[in-house]
Amino acid sequence: MATSRAGEYPEPGPRGWIRGRGRFILVLVLLAIFYSASWHLARVDPAKLLTGLPKMAGWAVKAWPPATDELPVLLLRTAETIAMAAIGTTAAALLALPLCVLAARNVTPSLAIYYPARWFLNALRGVDSFVFALLFVAAVGLGPFAGVLGIALHTWGSTAKLWAEAIENIPPGPLEAAAATGASRLKVVSYALLPDVAPSMVSVGLFWWEFNVRASTVLGVVGAGGIGQELKNSMDLLLFPRLLTIILLILVTVTVIDHASEWLRRKLE
Amino acid sequence: MAPAQARVAVAPAPPIVAAAEGLTKRYAPDVTALAGVSFAVAPGEFVAVLGPSGAGKTTLFRCLTGLTRPDHGTVRIDGRDIWTGARELRAARQTVALIFQQFNLIRRLTALENVLVGRLAHVSTWRVLLRRFTRADRQRALSCLDTVGLLDKAAVRADQLSGGQQQRVAIARALAQNARVILADEPVASLDPESAATVLASLRFAVGAGVAVVASLHQVHLARGYADRILALRAGRLVQDAPTAQLDVRALEQIYERSAP
Repeated sequence: MATSRAGEYPEPGPRGWIRGRGRFILVLVLLAIFYSASWHLARVDPAKLLTGLPKMAGWAVKAWPPATDELPVLLLRTAETIAMAAIGTTAAALLALPLCVLAARNVTPSLAIYYPARWFLNALRGVDSFVFALLFVAAVGLGPFAGVLGIALHTWGSTAKLWAEAIENIPPGPLEAAAATGASRLKVVSYALLPDVAPSMVSVGLFWWEFNVRASTVLGVVGAGGIGQELKNSMDLLLFPRLLTIILLILVTVTVIDHASEWLRRKLE
Repeated sequence: MAPAQARVAVAPAPPIVAAAEGLTKRYAPDVTALAGVSFAVAPGEFVAVLGPSGAGKTTLFRCLTGLTRPDHGTVRIDGRDIWTGARELRAARQTVALIFQQFNLIRRLTALENVLVGRLAHVSTWRVLLRRFTRADRQRALSCLDTVGLLDKAAVRADQLSGGQQQRVAIARALAQNARVILADEPVASLDPESAATVLASLRFAVGAGVAVVASLHQVHLARGYADRILALRAGRLVQDAPTAQLDVRALEQIYERSAP
């Protein structure tokens, strides 16, 4: 290697897109424009927060102690929420199982199936379960079933996409070795592929169940049943002690589900 | 050479299980990977393929397994040209087993379950889906593990085994496949000397059971220690095809030296 100055090696220049001082300043300016535009569009107004805070503090004072007279009904609604998430997520997982194989580039039977499968999953993923639930409330009426359908459709797309990515990330060697014995594609996928991806698939499924328990606490706001419906009623009627009970119930439920799911996932690693 | 031997001995000509006839493969007009390579392998024969990197060893193995179609020449397994149709290719795949440098076991399955991969093509689809193999298949897989000396590791997960043990499980998988030919592309290139020796001994054992083994190796002394016959490739041409005892070691060493960059 030639040296530029006596006894000194030439250092490689900075790598990547942000090279040189001019580019760096340009990036800073662009970021400043983006955030100031966002600040205005989002109508951020700290003064309003300052005047609103005492109001909330007043509610908090009025909310204590939490109402316990309706606890049985509220517990039932909480169970409804967990059930909605469980049925919706499980249905989504069953639907995602065949689709994730079609939407994984390394095992799909043909690209003519791969691309439509991807588009379909992206469309499902693009619509939030909240929006789906809104549509289903109109179609099948008020109640948790609309929530189940909303959760199932959105989670179907999300789960299948993440599973397909897990499949695409496994090393190709073992699949090649199994295919080289003359075994059919279905045999290779079920015997050689599934054990490799099963733990991450279960992990993804548990994550979505946990996520859907949290998401379905608000599904009631659009009339899709569960504890969210009670939350909205209490807010509308300004029943603060009842509201506090509901919020505490949601916190406890989400915390317990999060820990249970995390514990299960750690067991599977 | 072969016809002369046949005339001298009254016994019929030795059976041939795998044969390459005039294999030629070019990747570009000026890049010749193989140029008219011909040889035949008999059951119970251990053939080592030597040659520096870029000599055409990997292309030769890809042609023999039907992964790459040669421009000219034929590959015959059990006397049948593997390129006559999809059925012939699949039949050849079941007769020929592959051993890879990186073992390619299914990490989360046990050694026994990995050996059973060799039975997949012979088992009905519902048995594979439910993972319920017959007692005969399980017993057979266990005996293959016994052959490579890993019966006590049957219930151990593949990713808990050492490199040498994993490669021996891969050999047991090939044996469970009922393969009559084992093609091994650099089977010991990523192993320490001791593991390499146990792997080659296992391949030697398969040869004793009547399997034909064709293995590419990097070290001349390993080829001399385990193979019956040595093929040397240089720039896509077969420059030596001789029984190990008659190997011209000096000529072989020159091949490596001259092609070194």
